Amino acid sequence: MAQLTVQSVVKRFGALEVLQSFDLSVEKGSFAALLGPSGCGKSTLLRIIAGLERPNEGRIMIAGRDVTGLAPEDRNIALMFQSYALLPHLTALENVRFPLRMRRKYDRAEQEKRARDALALVQLDTLADRYPRQMSGGQQQRVALARSIVAEPDLLLLDEPLSNLDARLREDMQIELKRLHQTLGLTTIFVTHDQDEALALADTVILMNRGRIEQAGQPEEIYRRPRTIFAADFLGGANIVTLDVVADGDRRLGRFPDGSLVPLDPALSLTPGPQAFMLRKEAIGFDPAPGLARLQGVVEAQNYLGRQTRSLLQAGGVSLVALTEPVTLAPGAQVAIGWDPQDLIPLARD
Amino acid sequence: MIGATPRFVTWAAIAFVLAIALYMLIPIAVVVASSLSSSQFLVFPPPGLSLRWYGEILNSEAYLAAGWTSVKLALITVVVALGLGTPAAIALTRFRFAGRDAIGSIFLSPLILPSLIFAIGLLMVFSRYGDGPSFTGLVIGHVVITLPYVIRTVSANLVDLDPNLDEAARVMGARWWQRYFLVILPQCRTGMAAGAFFVFNISFDDAVIALFMRAPGVETLPMRIYSTLEFSPDPSVAAVSAVMIALTILLVLLLDRVFGLSKIV
Repeated sequence: MAQLTVQSVVKRFGALEVLQSFDLSVEKGSFAALLGPSGCGKSTLLRIIAGLERPNEGRIMIAGRDVTGLAPEDRNIALMFQSYALLPHLTALENVRFPLRMRRKYDRAEQEKRARDALALVQLDTLADRYPRQMSGGQQQRVALARSIVAEPDLLLLDEPLSNLDARLREDMQIELKRLHQTLGLTTIFVTHDQDEALALADTVILMNRGRIEQAGQPEEIYRRPRTIFAADFLGGANIVTLDVVADGDRRLGRFPDGSLVPLDPALSLTPGPQAFMLRKEAIGFDPAPGLARLQGVVEAQNYLGRQTRSLLQAGGVSLVALTEPVTLAPGAQVAIGWDPQDLIPLARD
Repeated sequence: MIGATPRFVTWAAIAFVLAIALYMLIPIAVVVASSLSSSQFLVFPPPGLSLRWYGEILNSEAYLAAGWTSVKLALITVVVALGLGTPAAIALTRFRFAGRDAIGSIFLSPLILPSLIFAIGLLMVFSRYGDGPSFTGLVIGHVVITLPYVIRTVSANLVDLDPNLDEAARVMGARWWQRYFLVILPQCRTGMAAGAFFVFNISFDDAVIALFMRAPGVETLPMRIYSTLEFSPDPSVAAVSAVMIALTILLVLLLDRVFGLSKIV
């Protein structure tokens, strides 16, 4: 059953249409990412779901209830702000208890017990009596998280939950968020512009572009099978090449700008003519086995990344980036590169 | 940064700062020394030391009454100025509305304009529409000249605040009155404390408004001191001043103890 339904929502700021007849449905218990570049409307959508912004048209349903006309305080939701928005004059425990106090859930003793439990869930029970200013950024975020889950909201909304943390804390927090989601089963929606974060956390990625959904699906599906150039480029970065599709009997071949021909996935039914393809950086290998697509190239530069090497290559008349096992090649070296024909994935222009 | 500033420049700077500090402290030292005088007259340096003038003021009906009037006046002014200034500061910092900047400037104008102007205006209004100068008139005058301090200190508290607090509280289920009293107002505490300190001091110290609003039977401490100086100057004036200095220092210490001065000023 859908826990959240967004129905033909339109939001305009003046002449600018930030959301264009937006439809979205999020299943109960799922962990959805609203992913997109800044200005794609994802934050506005989150604010509309929370009730902090009113849509010009359309409806919002949460847990089967039409909440379109309801103020945020009357929707049973939680929103964790990017800035955490902890109350500076209250201790961690009092901050976590605040939603229960406002919603008049339980008596005081039970509220405190539940607030303590929520703090324990984010491993902060020992810091219950500290004030926000006495805590690190990571600790403050955990308090904000505990405060978001304590009142058992119908919907947990997170606004760029990891963007204020340094790289190491971010990794810890990704695991933490995932664990918390598995324990509590709260329907969670988070906004991010970071594709790694979306792929790491979400079970549904909703990729947004210019006020509409570009593509939605499971992380793996959306990463492996992007439909458009935008999706391919935004998710993980990829080599995007335009090849001329030529017919060779029943087979289809792709012609690179320099005239080199490579085989295409026979399962694709492509009409001859120019066509954009995605080739993931990690799909490219050196010295390909027979049967794979094969191209002669020149190494331009390399970055050593520890577990991998990133190579910038010139091949087929285009620049390609390859992510491979560590390998050291001199700039200017001639190499044979190749890939599985199935890794050349056709993309729509828009 | 070895040798970045020549040594003699450093020493000159220290000497300069010390000279300024001395310049600011000398009047206080003179007053306190004079208050310990054994003489019948207000002279400096005092010919001998004694505490007799402190005894005098404690036994003086006029000084005690004036002191009580001043304390009462200052406390009432604090309450009214905080009551008006805090919501005004909240509105000015948190809401955008037409004429906000103009209203903000009007609220702060008593900082710039001579209080004499307010005193004259107040006197004219009270003479025309009321029974002339009164204690109430004094409170109103003091509120006018002290309101900017409350608005300034409370605003300073609020501009640093996370702008998301209000929305976060809404999502947590807080109604507008709960957000006002449980979220916003608690953030104003240090600003209100600092404001109260300024208001109390200014009201307690004011002679201009008090002079114009001089009503029969209403005499504040500064007025008492002034008339004593004018008609029968004796070291009791210095003793009262010393008490006022002590009171101010006490207030500062208290404020520092409770809120931490570094957070306020």
